[in-house]
Amino acid sequence: MSLSTENRVDRSAGALQAEETLRLIATLPAAEGLEDRVKAGLRAAPRRSTVIAWPFSSAEGWMHSAGARAAAAAAIVLVVAGGGWGVYSHIQVAPVPTAQVDSQTPNEAGRFSTAGAKHVPQTVEGPAVAAPAVEKPEAGKTQVGQKHSAKGKDRKGTGPAAEPRR
Amino acid sequence: MEIVESAVHDEARQHAEEAALAALVDQYASTLYRVAFSVLRNQQDAEDAVQEAFLRVLRHSDSLGEIRDHRVWLVRIVWNIVLDRKRRAKTRPETDDIADLARVLPANGLTAEQRAAAVQHHAQVMRCVEKLPDREREVMLLSAFEELSSVEIAGVLGVTESSVRSRLFRARNLLAESLQHKRSTQ
Repeated sequence: MSLSTENRVDRSAGALQAEETLRLIATLPAAEGLEDRVKAGLRAAPRRSTVIAWPFSSAEGWMHSAGARAAAAAAIVLVVAGGGWGVYSHIQVAPVPTAQVDSQTPNEAGRFSTAGAKHVPQTVEGPAVAAPAVEKPEAGKTQVGQKHSAKGKDRKGTGPAAEPRR
Repeated sequence: MEIVESAVHDEARQHAEEAALAALVDQYASTLYRVAFSVLRNQQDAEDAVQEAFLRVLRHSDSLGEIRDHRVWLVRIVWNIVLDRKRRAKTRPETDDIADLARVLPANGLTAEQRAAAVQHHAQVMRCVEKLPDREREVMLLSAFEELSSVEIAGVLGVTESSVRSRLFRARNLLAESLQHKRSTQ
């Protein structure tokens, strides 16, 4: 028994009219040719994925034996595991460093040290000056030279002025 | 060339599934369309929903034999599809849908004036139905389908039959109040 036919007694007039409208909507005919279009859509839809049959096997082939399948699976596992072990065994571990490397630490100024390196600027070479000509001593100039030399001796404290007073 | 036995078996099974699916389409496509149309109110959208429902069935065609009630199962599928679509796509304003729907409803043997009044009444009812809470509205819409019993509606909505009855009772009261209020304000 459907819901639309039961409990009719307690329905109000407004609700009855409303349900009549809903029933009209529910009985609207479906579009023409709906079934054909749905079937065509289903035919065009991709099928579910299926297991592709091995093309080289026959009905009585060895792959239809459970033992042979297990052996083939075990062989595949062995090959994969062996390959993995081969790769693992050929990996060379990097040697552990023996020398201890001092790490650079900041100096007193809070900067990294220059490790004793000095920056020497490339300077331009100065002009080459010719050596001055040496003059020969003359007679008149000799006394003056001697006076000068005596004064020089006094300055140095080796002359008479430097002698202690008695 | 030898033909693999399993291949023959698969092909036969596929043909059987296709035949079963075609039978389902012939039997229930119209019902599903009307259920979809009652929510979506658009012919093209309703047809798309039916198509999507059967595509889902195609994906699970190997479990067709396990389904007890195909009609409830299919209605449930299309119901979920249309609710999801309605939730996601609000392409048109609600008032346009209602006006279009009121125009396509049958009004045989009515004069032009009576027809205009009927269209107005249908539109008013639909506006009131739209204002119902979701649970009550869903039960109300499904109850309009003569072919669905309260047990089947419960199966579609995934609730108990007593829950369907109580929701329907509330929906009728709310709808009656709403219509009465509209008439009194006019």
